[in-house]
Amino acid sequence: MDVALMMRVFPFFLEAALVTVQLSVLAGGLGLAMAAAAAAARLSPVAPLRYLGATYVSVFRGTPALIQLFVLYFGGPQVGINLDPFAAGVVGLGLNIGAYMAEGVRGAIVSVDKGQAEAARSIGFSRAQTMQRVILPQAARLMIRPLGVNTVALVKGTSLVATISVVELTYTAQRFIGSTYKPFEIFGVAALLYMVMIYGVARVVDLLDRRYAID
Amino acid sequence: MKTVFSGLVAAAFTFTMAIGAMPAQAEDLAAIKDAGEMKIAMTGQYPPFNFVNDQNEVVGFDAAIGKEIATRIGVEPVIVTTAWDGIIAGLLASKYDTIVGSMTITPDREKVVDFVGPYYHAGRGVFVKEESPVQSLDELKGKTLGVTLGETHEKWAREQGGWDIRTYKGLPELFLELNAGRVDAIVVDNIPVAVAVKETGEKIRQLDTPDIEGGSVAIGIAIRKENPELKAAMQKALDEMMQDGTYEKIAMEWIGRDIR
Repeated sequence: MDVALMMRVFPFFLEAALVTVQLSVLAGGLGLAMAAAAAAARLSPVAPLRYLGATYVSVFRGTPALIQLFVLYFGGPQVGINLDPFAAGVVGLGLNIGAYMAEGVRGAIVSVDKGQAEAARSIGFSRAQTMQRVILPQAARLMIRPLGVNTVALVKGTSLVATISVVELTYTAQRFIGSTYKPFEIFGVAALLYMVMIYGVARVVDLLDRRYAID
Repeated sequence: MKTVFSGLVAAAFTFTMAIGAMPAQAEDLAAIKDAGEMKIAMTGQYPPFNFVNDQNEVVGFDAAIGKEIATRIGVEPVIVTTAWDGIIAGLLASKYDTIVGSMTITPDREKVVDFVGPYYHAGRGVFVKEESPVQSLDELKGKTLGVTLGETHEKWAREQGGWDIRTYKGLPELFLELNAGRVDAIVVDNIPVAVAVKETGEKIRQLDTPDIEGGSVAIGIAIRKENPELKAAMQKALDEMMQDGTYEKIAMEWIGRDIR
């Protein structure tokens, strides 16, 4: 095992890991916004909104993230959407993970006991007030786990943008293998950094979960 | 659900058709000069033509040629690394201005892109492990062959037939598979292999294939179609560097011989 090589490339991998973190944070933020919108649409009393939400979720969960990225990045310019690689990565991954997160959000909301809503309405809360003051605070706790799982999937999924020329962790590894022919060492360093990042996400989820646990 | 599905199919078809028939663009040279930079695509995984050095910079023969052309046109070169299997799609989608990535000029490719050059010539080589008993192409029949996905060698190997073909992302993977014994031979361009053998001491041997199709092919610089001014400017830059000794200097540095 070429430890000297691993040490030598490590600083470049740290830089690349930063790109992975930026992608994850931005795509995660967009995903969360999409998830909230989609979940709200799916639970809406307005039928067209429900269909819109359901279509978004089934399209983005029903096709591979890689194809979504390709359609957006290579196909986008055909319809006037010309994003640079990083932006395409953020938008593509964000829309994809948003569809998965939407189900986590919706699932949490519908798991809150029906009696809570009924009680709130019976003491004169409006629909919006009921959602805002009674349902969402309880649902938020239930969302922590599924959103955490999706975030872990997102961090790993960022490796897909290597295919649209974003030089993040995976593509950095691929480029170094091109000149060193040492896959064990090079992918080893990349794997280690992914593990550190995902451990970080898992810790945050654990902390949040414990902090807001329902006894 | 049915409408969603048929909508998706329609979208996929439109997308595929669109990639095949890009609309004519405005002249790229003006756009490049306006931007003050030329985005040059390559994989960054094809030493000695393009690869990353110890400083994580993309260097090599392609990188040097591409940079020199941009400089001579009067703009800043910007190297973009991207996967080989989508590299033409990326060019057509205007993600970069040119591909200086060791691309063989073929009639199929000429239907979708224009080529400047050729800027060097390479040949198809069939390589086996040093200790392999195989001596000729015929002895490889029925055995397993490794090629890079999307390269002209893949097409050639499929047309020949008579062997199992496995496709990989690039030369590094092919070397690893050959050494691991999972493929019996690899079909690749001979120059990068020769350089790799010299640099890393790979224990591999080239089969003697004097009559092989594609033993010497022209490698070109791809640009989007219908850009006569850009094409002329890049060709002029290339011709000039071939005349004034710059080309030879670059070739000696990265390849060890003049490969025009």
